[in-house]
Amino acid sequence: MPAICTVCSKGAILKRPKTGNALCKECFFHAFEEEIHHTIVHAELFKRNETIAIGASGGKDSTVLAYVLKLLNDRHDYGVNLVLLSVDEGITGYRDDSLETVKRNQEQYGLPLKIISYEELYGWTMDAIVKQIGLKNNCTFCGVFRRQALDRGALMLKVDKIATGHNADDIAETVIMNVLRGDIGRLRRCTAITTGTDGALPRCKPFKYTYEKEIVMYAYFKKLDYFSTECIYSPNAYRGFARAYIKDVEKIRPSAIIDIIHSGESLSVKKDIRLPVQGVCERCGYISSNAVCKACVMLEGLNKGLPRLGIGKTHKERRKMQEMLQQETGAADSTPCTDQSLKSSCKCENKTDQSECSSQTYDSDNASGCSTYSKSQKCKDGCSSTNPRTVAKEKLSIFGKLKQPPSIDF
Amino acid sequence: MCSILEDEIPLAKERKLNILDRKCMKCKEEPAILITRVNDAFCRGCFQVYVTHKFRAAIGKTKLVRDGEKVLVGISGGPSSCALLHLIQEGLSQRAHKKLRFKPGLIFIDEGQVVGQSLEEHKVTLTRIHSLLRQSGFPYHLCQLADSLDLERVKTLNACQSNHSAVNKINQSAMDINTCSNPVEGDKGDVEISGQDENCCDLIEMNREAEKLFAAQLGSIRSISGKEDFVRALRHRLLLEFARQHGYSKVMLGNTGSQLAVRLLTDISTGRGMQAALETAFADRRNTDMMFLRPLRDFSSKEIAMYNNLHRLECVFIPSLTTMGDVGASIEHLTEAFVTGLQAEYPSTVSNIMRTGEKLDSSSAVDLESHCALCQGPLDTDVGMSSALAALRFSLEISTMGKTNGERCIKGDNSVNNTNDELCSNGVNYDAKVECCGKSDGSCRSSTQLSVPDEGLVLQTLCYGCRIVAMEMDDVNSLPEFVMKDVAWRNRRSVMKAEIQDFLLDDR
Repeated sequence: MPAICTVCSKGAILKRPKTGNALCKECFFHAFEEEIHHTIVHAELFKRNETIAIGASGGKDSTVLAYVLKLLNDRHDYGVNLVLLSVDEGITGYRDDSLETVKRNQEQYGLPLKIISYEELYGWTMDAIVKQIGLKNNCTFCGVFRRQALDRGALMLKVDKIATGHNADDIAETVIMNVLRGDIGRLRRCTAITTGTDGALPRCKPFKYTYEKEIVMYAYFKKLDYFSTECIYSPNAYRGFARAYIKDVEKIRPSAIIDIIHSGESLSVKKDIRLPVQGVCERCGYISSNAVCKACVMLEGLNKGLPRLGIGKTHKERRKMQEMLQQETGAADSTPCTDQSLKSSCKCENKTDQSECSSQTYDSDNASGCSTYSKSQKCKDGCSSTNPRTVAKEKLSIFGKLKQPPSIDF
Repeated sequence: MCSILEDEIPLAKERKLNILDRKCMKCKEEPAILITRVNDAFCRGCFQVYVTHKFRAAIGKTKLVRDGEKVLVGISGGPSSCALLHLIQEGLSQRAHKKLRFKPGLIFIDEGQVVGQSLEEHKVTLTRIHSLLRQSGFPYHLCQLADSLDLERVKTLNACQSNHSAVNKINQSAMDINTCSNPVEGDKGDVEISGQDENCCDLIEMNREAEKLFAAQLGSIRSISGKEDFVRALRHRLLLEFARQHGYSKVMLGNTGSQLAVRLLTDISTGRGMQAALETAFADRRNTDMMFLRPLRDFSSKEIAMYNNLHRLECVFIPSLTTMGDVGASIEHLTEAFVTGLQAEYPSTVSNIMRTGEKLDSSSAVDLESHCALCQGPLDTDVGMSSALAALRFSLEISTMGKTNGERCIKGDNSVNNTNDELCSNGVNYDAKVECCGKSDGSCRSSTQLSVPDEGLVLQTLCYGCRIVAMEMDDVNSLPEFVMKDVAWRNRRSVMKAEIQDFLLDDR
């Protein structure tokens, strides 16, 4: 007996993953689009005359997002201007293909497009980073860099908001992952539909309550074209565990994804828990909860040849750094390091004399460096003096290979 | 520099934990006999001290248990319950260093009916449990999960003292008969019934009804996850009522850290995020008059198992709904497999989850009307329009009805004062002011007929997680009696409030 659509009683061709109802194509399109419209209206995501940048990766979420936002903008007259913003991480075989899709989208939907790449921003592509750090923890680099890249690109385009294609499955995964990792600050923020309202550019997720399967179904029936492989570096990500769990729970109970989002929304944190406070990075001016933002820390690590600087625990990395230098520079020079600014954090073996140093920490350009230093133990952040005795010192120069990111007033 | 650092922890743990030559890490003298946590070796004496100290510290640090307080200890027969019992016994014994000072009473809730165990299998289990409880020397009680549906009778269950053998025999026989899931009148097996036959028969009769009701309700829930949730809610309610009516002020449960980590994830996956903090905290203050304590929450299952092994404690295995089922049988079972699997590769998983749980807060509901009628957790349905709940409702509506009529159903779901207005609960529309249809066959859906509460009304009193369970049942009105009473009571109060609404000053 052929199924009939529960709404219009014609023949049904699909079963909605979210609710299990059988629907015909038209009613499904209508339901899908109206739900997103409902989400946008009730969360007040868009205001008249705003410019919204759509984070376009060429994948299914961003392709459908671009299509639906354009459609709803015309149909319900939100009055917003849409632009496409794409980030090129430099992963051969994955990103260059998906960028073709974005270019095609640009033509099809008639939206302006801007592509911003890691190479131009940071001087490193993901392929080069993976060669340094290996296959574990590379997602951290990509994620942190991409977030900044999106913001910088959006600022260049002078938009008011960024819209990303995160769907319900993504948010449910994030909730589970944050519980497993014990990251209470993120756990509180991750279910908000608009994040970053104070300070940085706000970004919203119109697909927050839309199932991934429904997005695929919509794209399939509307014949929207997109690029659909996994990032080649993703199999070892920790998120994979959370994703597998979500997929299994969804099989048992399809509404579980929304249930998880509801749980995430109703979680409240005890008041006396220390949460990270938002400040500004002292090097690049981006928002950061520490003195130096994660991207700058990571970049420094990559350029110094210590790619795990942004990932491992700080004290361990410091120790490793000292050991590495010890190996490379050979016999110890027992004169103490006299770097002034590192009084307490100076790890020189000979700590008896920690008097003034003529050099400053980060102005590597001036050649007057640490007059004396210990060859065996180097101060953690590296006196950037030009004393010829250490070749290793060159490596620690912060601006060795780095192309400074275009400075933008945040 | 292109070298990939070699000191990354590989996914498959290859280092073997060699215990043969190690000394205890505490006293450094005795040879170690076991390894706990990541790589800590303990000798027998130090391990005993470690466990006892953790247990006492958990109770003592919070200063919640006062001297001479009556505490009800829930014993399920599993390994953690046995360990808890043993620890309490040790703690209360004269020779203990600073002995614990509360008065425990033990309770065992028989859940054989949940899995439909036959009388023979069950009797064996029951006898073992019975002897376990009797040997402890504390007063103990035995009851049945179906009793939660008939809470008045809970008062009449007498405490069994371990030195009153006659009373024991009666209770045991009554127990054995009561737990027969096939009500066979004459089949008493080889159970002795001494003396008071009339009492037993009375007990049998009433329990049969409760059992049937329970079986019917359980059977009407379609998914195993829903059944498990339902059973848990009933168990909690029974413990609460029992403790209240027999003068206990606290209930102690033996959940270990590993179990609680699984519990937290399961709660999040079933939409009970708001109660997740309650379930994993040391003290569950869901009900203002009764506190549920979990002193074993810092222990892992492994430590408990080792403790039991050292002291040769015997536990009783009681099968549950998902025993020997496949991994995807229920959400809890899946989560358990997930957490234990992840723990094997990343040993800090359980402690991370527990730490997250500690940081969560559950707002304690102020008045009785903001509790879920079934699980007594805080209601989490007052969430406004931009929320998962509203989105789900909208989806259901638009998938069943197509166009929504204006803003009809777009309202928050917790407004209790709209018995006469259009109630929308999860996509089912109830027209306003349906008149009595005149048929007297019980199918009248008029909104003036309040003796059978509307489905919408009932669902409003339940939290998100319990709503999912209730919606799986065929008839929402077949929920347990205590739920329906609560619904009716709230309904009456809301009508009262509506009448005097204009004159109320403090608008909360």
